[in-house]
Amino acid sequence: MPTTENDLLLMAKDLRTWFEIKKWGFLHVGHVRAVDGVNFTLDRGESVSLVGESGCGKSSLAKTIMGIHQPTEGELIFEGNTVDSTDEQSMRQYKSEIGFVQQDPYGALPPFMSIQRILEEPMIVNGIKDKEKRLKRIHQVMEELKMTPVEDFLKKYPHMLSGGQQQRIVIARSLVLNPKLIMADEPVSMLDASVRVEILELIKKIQAERELAVIYITHDLSTVRYFSERIWVMYGGKIVEQSPVRDLLKEPAHPYTRALLEAISEPDADNIHNYKKVPPGEPPSLLNPPRGCRFHPRCEHMIEGLCDQEIPPDFQLANNRLTACWLFRDEEEAGDVAI
Amino acid sequence: MANDTKVAANNAEKNKHLEEKTANVLEVQDMYLYFQTGKGIVQAVDKVDFALERGKSMVIVGESGCGKTSLGRAILRLLPENVYKYEGSCLLNGTNIMQYDDERFRKEIRWKRAALVPQSSMNSLNPVLKVSDQVAEPILIHNLADNKEQAREKAAEAFKKVGVPVDFLDRYPFELSGGMRQRVAIATSLVTDPDFIILDEPTSALDMLTQANIMNVLTRLKEEIDISFVLITHDVSTSSEIADMAAIMYAGQIVEFTDAYTFFGTPLHPYSERLMASVPTLEAEDEELGFIPGQPPSLINPPTGCRFAERCEEEFELCSEEPPSFEMEDGRTVKCWLYREGGERNANYGK
Repeated sequence: MPTTENDLLLMAKDLRTWFEIKKWGFLHVGHVRAVDGVNFTLDRGESVSLVGESGCGKSSLAKTIMGIHQPTEGELIFEGNTVDSTDEQSMRQYKSEIGFVQQDPYGALPPFMSIQRILEEPMIVNGIKDKEKRLKRIHQVMEELKMTPVEDFLKKYPHMLSGGQQQRIVIARSLVLNPKLIMADEPVSMLDASVRVEILELIKKIQAERELAVIYITHDLSTVRYFSERIWVMYGGKIVEQSPVRDLLKEPAHPYTRALLEAISEPDADNIHNYKKVPPGEPPSLLNPPRGCRFHPRCEHMIEGLCDQEIPPDFQLANNRLTACWLFRDEEEAGDVAI
Repeated sequence: MANDTKVAANNAEKNKHLEEKTANVLEVQDMYLYFQTGKGIVQAVDKVDFALERGKSMVIVGESGCGKTSLGRAILRLLPENVYKYEGSCLLNGTNIMQYDDERFRKEIRWKRAALVPQSSMNSLNPVLKVSDQVAEPILIHNLADNKEQAREKAAEAFKKVGVPVDFLDRYPFELSGGMRQRVAIATSLVTDPDFIILDEPTSALDMLTQANIMNVLTRLKEEIDISFVLITHDVSTSSEIADMAAIMYAGQIVEFTDAYTFFGTPLHPYSERLMASVPTLEAEDEELGFIPGQPPSLINPPTGCRFAERCEEEFELCSEEPPSFEMEDGRTVKCWLYREGGERNANYGK
């Protein structure tokens, strides 16, 4: 939980990333509001899961945090300093503090480079000129990831490795610069169930050993519990609920979070007798998002005249939970999430 | 000429068998499908047996590369060119369709009686054709409608069945969301009114809410029309929504064929056990998730004994020989030396 300033690694204040849509290359049509007013805090060594459906803006948020997209408005504060996207020098420094684990290991590793070359690349880009030093770090990281004997792997090319091993190389690459934050974008969705857990356990282990902060982006709510302490639920470009994982799974607050939990199948043979409860409609277009709460057209608890008019602010609930839903407007402080 | 009519009459006679409602809609016996590659012969499907009861649905689960998709394609004879060995029998309504030549198979079986929704078919819709034309295509090819209007009506019917608004008929694929495109792909397989449909990873690229929607559609179809689904997936949790039976595949073989209650409750084969232990759940309390160390064996020169032995915690001497499929009293089968014919677990071995 956010405590003293020293523990705080990253903070976002009203972060917005909009993409302009043009017709014929010059006529302004509108903006896709991929990230639209996001606030959060992330502590050192904390593991957070960012959950949402495709098109809700979670990858745009990740790329904004990593400095790939420039925020349209708002600011990111990393270790007390505002991230200035116009200053190339400090941006390079900032980017080297964040490691990225891509979704598809096979697509993320260049097929024509040996593993050694792949792992050296980030260090070469970041000006570590001493080859001995680079190799030493590679060995250290590979041993941490239990990829031994290291020498055998270094000479290989990505296609010679299995999916799980490839993903470990991707993780190794994200670690060679000793980052403080790892952004893992669906790191296991391309892997088999049996390997999946192995990779998640590995990331968890490294996170604990290195006191790394991890943002784990996923749409699979069922793996979140094994992995993170906190969870952010994103919908329509906004974070609608922030909560410790356990509380959220027990008592989801936001109606969207509830819908997500209800949609998850548990491996149970009795399921064939039941239908799943799914909210009607589809996620909103971010080009023309609905007025007021973005979930209101699909929400069964919609309050006429309020939810469809005004954007709900973050209401504070017990246990450091935040939810952007008008249903909780009176229950702030009370911490009672029953409806 | 006279000969031709005779053949046609003969075929019609034979086809009557296909109309018969046997107890099992699909029976696969000793199915082999090997591929010839530069590195050797890949034993993708190796002596597979199972029977699916009419009106029931089943799921084929296993890790990637275990031959699930190959098995689906072997049933529908959608094969690449490098096939080395393709044999066995496949009984559809009691008729062995493996005996049909390719032309007859194409005309009478594929799509008409058994359809396939291939993996990521939602992304392989033709972008320049209206969805109605794509859904109506199998109807026209199989002469199930007199004219285009009638075919369009049938397409509209299929749309209703899968819950796509009828005014989407004249849209192009890019105008539909992923979930809607997946429904259209399912509609394409439904229009010819087949006996069973093989769905290859129908929900793997979709979001949670969309996945739940698609599974609801399948559950409803099962209730409303007489159809069986064969679901090929690695997502065990989602498959529980429609599966009555489960076939667990490992390295080209079915290691366990059982009802859903056994599989989701107390699976028999050590591989199924470990597989179920690695499925994340929301309700379980704090227990650590399991995983299976190591990798499945290569299907080129797989181990001669039990193929799972290398990764199995309960391995013992007998495992160096290939176990037969033991049949339990209630018809479940398990390919593991820990069991005996009749259902008893061998108390002398294993944990």
